Parts: sequence; C-alpha cells; structure tokens
Amino acid sequence: MANGARQGVSTTVGQGVTVTKTGEQGAFGGELLTVNFGPHHPSTHGVLRLIVDLDGEQIRRVKPVIGYLHTGIEKQMEALRWQQGVVVTDRHDYLSPPINNLAYALAVEKLMGVEAPPRAQALRVIMSELTRIASHLVWLGTSGLELGAMSMLMYCFRERDTILDLNEEISGFRMHTSYIRPGGVMADATPRFFDLLDRFIASMPGHIDEYEELLTMNPIFRSRTIGIGRLSPEDAKVLGASGPMIRGSGIAWDLRRSMPYSGYESYDFEVATSNDCDCYGRYLVRIKEMREAVKILRQAVDRLPDGPVNVDDRKMLPPPREELETSMEAVIHHFKLFTEGYSVPAGDVYVAVESGRGENGCYIVSDGTHKPRRVKFRSASFVNLQALERMALNHMIADFIAIIGTADTVLGDVDR
Amino acid sequence: MIAEKLILEKGVSAGDDWITVDPTAIREALAALKADGSRLLVFLTCVDHLADASRQWPARYELVYQLRDLESKAQLRVRTFLDGDPPRIDSVQDMFPPANWDERETYDMFGIVFEGHPDLTRILMPDDWVGHPLRRDYPVGGEVVEFSEEHQTWQTAPDKA
Repeated sequence: MANGARQGVSTTVGQGVTVTKTGEQGAFGGELLTVNFGPHHPSTHGVLRLIVDLDGEQIRRVKPVIGYLHTGIEKQMEALRWQQGVVVTDRHDYLSPPINNLAYALAVEKLMGVEAPPRAQALRVIMSELTRIASHLVWLGTSGLELGAMSMLMYCFRERDTILDLNEEISGFRMHTSYIRPGGVMADATPRFFDLLDRFIASMPGHIDEYEELLTMNPIFRSRTIGIGRLSPEDAKVLGASGPMIRGSGIAWDLRRSMPYSGYESYDFEVATSNDCDCYGRYLVRIKEMREAVKILRQAVDRLPDGPVNVDDRKMLPPPREELETSMEAVIHHFKLFTEGYSVPAGDVYVAVESGRGENGCYIVSDGTHKPRRVKFRSASFVNLQALERMALNHMIADFIAIIGTADTVLGDVDR
Repeated sequence: MIAEKLILEKGVSAGDDWITVDPTAIREALAALKADGSRLLVFLTCVDHLADASRQWPARYELVYQLRDLESKAQLRVRTFLDGDPPRIDSVQDMFPPANWDERETYDMFGIVFEGHPDLTRILMPDDWVGHPLRRDYPVGGEVVEFSEEHQTWQTAPDKA
C-alpha cells in the first residue's frame, strides 16, 4: 500500500503492532523505528491506524491512516428523500445521534424557511445536552480505563445507561434515536420522561463529584496528563480544532454561545475553558461541560413552553392519524408525503452545531427535488485528528495513549 | 480587501453570504480573504451538478470553500466552477492547514486534482479503489461483494494504484 511504512525489515511484536527499522539515524545514536499502531489496537477507539516514527521512545512523526469505517453516508443521503435522511445522520458520530439530527434538521429548515415551534426547540436542547453528557461519559470512562483507572468505566456507564433509558422513553430507541427531525421532533415527551429526567438532574452533580474524586487529584492520572499533548492556542486556531480541543487551549469558542441556535442564547451557562493547553486541561473542560449541561437541562425543564412540537405544515409533515378518517385533504397530503416526500427549494446552506467533540456541521445542496443533491457532514473528529501529530511530537510513545484519548475522536465521524 | 475584479458573482443563499471566483484565481482570492480576517477554513467540498436542471451551471463541478472569521464571526462561502478530465485546481493547504485532508477527501470522492498538494492520495477509500464514489454517475450499489464472481471484473486495480 502507498500509505504503508517505508522500506525496511519488519517484525510483528504483538497483535496490531508491527515495527520496521527505517535505517534513518535518530538523535540518541539509534535508528528511527516505524511502528504501525492499529487499526485494531484497543486504545484507538475504533479503527484508527497510526504510523508512528520513533526515535528511541520519542515520537518523531505521526501519520494517521483513516477510512476503515467509511460507510458512504454522504452517498446514501443522495439516494434518500429529505425526511428519510434523518435515520442516516444518526450513524456518523454514533456517540451523539441527536446532535447530528439537529444539524441536519436545522439545515433543512433553514433552506425551507421554517422554524420549529418553541416547545420543540426546548426539547431539542434537552436531547442535545443529554447527548453531550452521554458522549463525555463514554470518553471519560474509556480514557480512564486506558490510563489505569479501571473503575471509571463502570461508574460512567452506569450514568450513561440512565441517559439511554431516557432516549428509549422519548423515542423508543436507545442509541440511534432519530428524534429530532426537520420541522420539529418525533413526538412530545411523556410524563415518565420528565420524571426520569428530574431524577437524573438531581443525581448527576453528585456523580460528577464522584468522578472528580477518582481522577482530578489522582497522582497517577495527573502525572500522565499534565504537560502531555500540548496544543498552543495559536496552533489550535490554525489547525481548525473545535470543541474541548480548542477550549482546552484557553479559547472560549463554543458555537452554543458564539453562533447560537435552537434558543441557546436564552440559557444561562458558562463556556468551559482551561488555560492548561494539555490533556489535563481538556479533561477539566469536559468535566466542567457536564456540570454546565446539567444546569442547562434544569433551565430547559423549568421553562419548557407548552404548545405543538412540530410545524403546522401539511406539505412537510403528515397530518395526525385521526384526521385521515374525516378529511380527503389529509389523505392526499399523507399519500404525497409517503410516496414522494417534500421538495426543498433549490439552494445551499451550512449549519453548525456544537457536539461533544466540537463543530458538527451539515452543508446541504438542494436542486429543488425531493432528494438532496449533496449532503456534506463537517465532522469535528476529522479536523481534530489532524492536530494529533502536533500534540504528540517529542512525547513518549506511552503518552500517545493519553493524547489519542483526549482528542476524543469517534472514527465513525472521521470516516463517515 | 478582496479585489472586486476577482468576484464574478455574489449573493445570499438562505442567509449565507457567498461569492463566486474564477478557478485560476482561487489562491489569490483566498489569500486576500485570509488577510482580511477569515483565517479559518471550516470545510472544503465539491458538488457535482451533473444533470442538475435547477439552473444553468457554468461547469459540472462546483468547489465550495467555507471561511470564517473567528473574531467577527462572519462567514463567507467561496465557490468556483470546474470542468475537465480530471478537473484541476491549485491546492490551498499551505494557507489553511485543515484543507490538507479536505482536499484529499475531495480528490478521493470526486477526482478533483489539487495541484501542489504534497500527498494527494486516497484517504477514505482503499488505495486500489477504481472510480470516485461521490460523482453523480457513480451508481449507488456500485460496489460488488468482495470475493464474489463479478469482483474480479469490477475491481481490478490499475497498474499505478
């Protein structure tokens, strides 16, 4: 393969790890070694392959090789009608499906010139924040596990399961909810959902304290993350990093605050930042973000407006079931929507929302028909992964695990 | 400021500002916009307008560069239209580092050749893949099941894969 390692003698030293001697001289009197890392290495969070050049134990070059999880989502979107595409958007960043739905729904709505009703917007905020917490919990659990804190995974997945229960209650699906759709949301939340949510909001701050007790002052965790994987604010900006990667470098760039959508401007929350610029800083940012997300959830539930959860447009969303029995008009609309779908006016639009990983954008082009001409997902992981080499340079190979971990890339999102 | 003569057309699409520039002037236009403050390239992609009847298109491929100014939060979309086999345009990855992988992806998916890119190889598809999957004339379901009988005839790698 053209992407493969340079010429040299290769030996396989373990599952998924191959070492090649390059013949190039390093600074410590030895030869540079090319180590193939992945794509099935357990710490790569999916199927990321990295070709790393080592001088002794120090990293000199990093070349990510991606595409192992490419599923052609953008091509599939072109073959589906506008309302069917929602199901596919769930699946690129598989740790934050409702946020992917939201980016797509907002883009379609913007092109059609409609706006979701206030109750739908508040429900969208609730789902986004729950997802953000769930996504950070997966990150915290797996990163803790890789750095030696075995119990983190158990604690984090306990709370994540509560969030999956909430997903199931509101949409019938635990992972790929497809809850947020163009025009509104799938259905109104049930009273049981609010019961569960109240309990979750009340207990979550205590759980976050528990995680912090385990990690924040833990000497092993601190020595493995402080000063590791430095990304200066200038580099973060130039490399286009977003989400906790840029906020961990001290830049308060959060799309919820900088370019608000779905009514985020009316919520009172702090943008979590850290001036540490290292793995520990990114950890602090994510912990703080979970606390802020709970705050937003509390406000959203307290101020949840009444009213419909979908736009009142029969050309875009099907009529209620009971209308079909009495109204011919409703039957026609129902038939048209389920055989042909709706058309979106020709044009293009880009909408970006803040996911747990950063800027999750959706660029759609319509040619005026009932299927998209082009849908492009601007994924945060794809761009953040390019900063990996900058962060890992001159660090020890053992620290690389912490650096890959705090970059928090989801390979489904990288490869789409 | 970007010189007025570089802008072929400008407008607003669903609230997003855009301009069209000539493909030969893409580096000049983006350099001027970068000097103006739009220092972040949010994404770069291509749209294939094959058999698109919604309007008269100047060429088949449309390249889209989404720029953002992090200070003023202003966004601008720069479009340029390309034809040719393969379509060629200058790379901008030295001006905007995130464009490096975006250009590789656009090459992989649409076959646009970015002149001056240091490592223009396939990024998402396997290195020996034939064709550019996001082109509109590339069929959905155009992938033949591996190790099946048709696989040999469908997917035979060219000499210089």
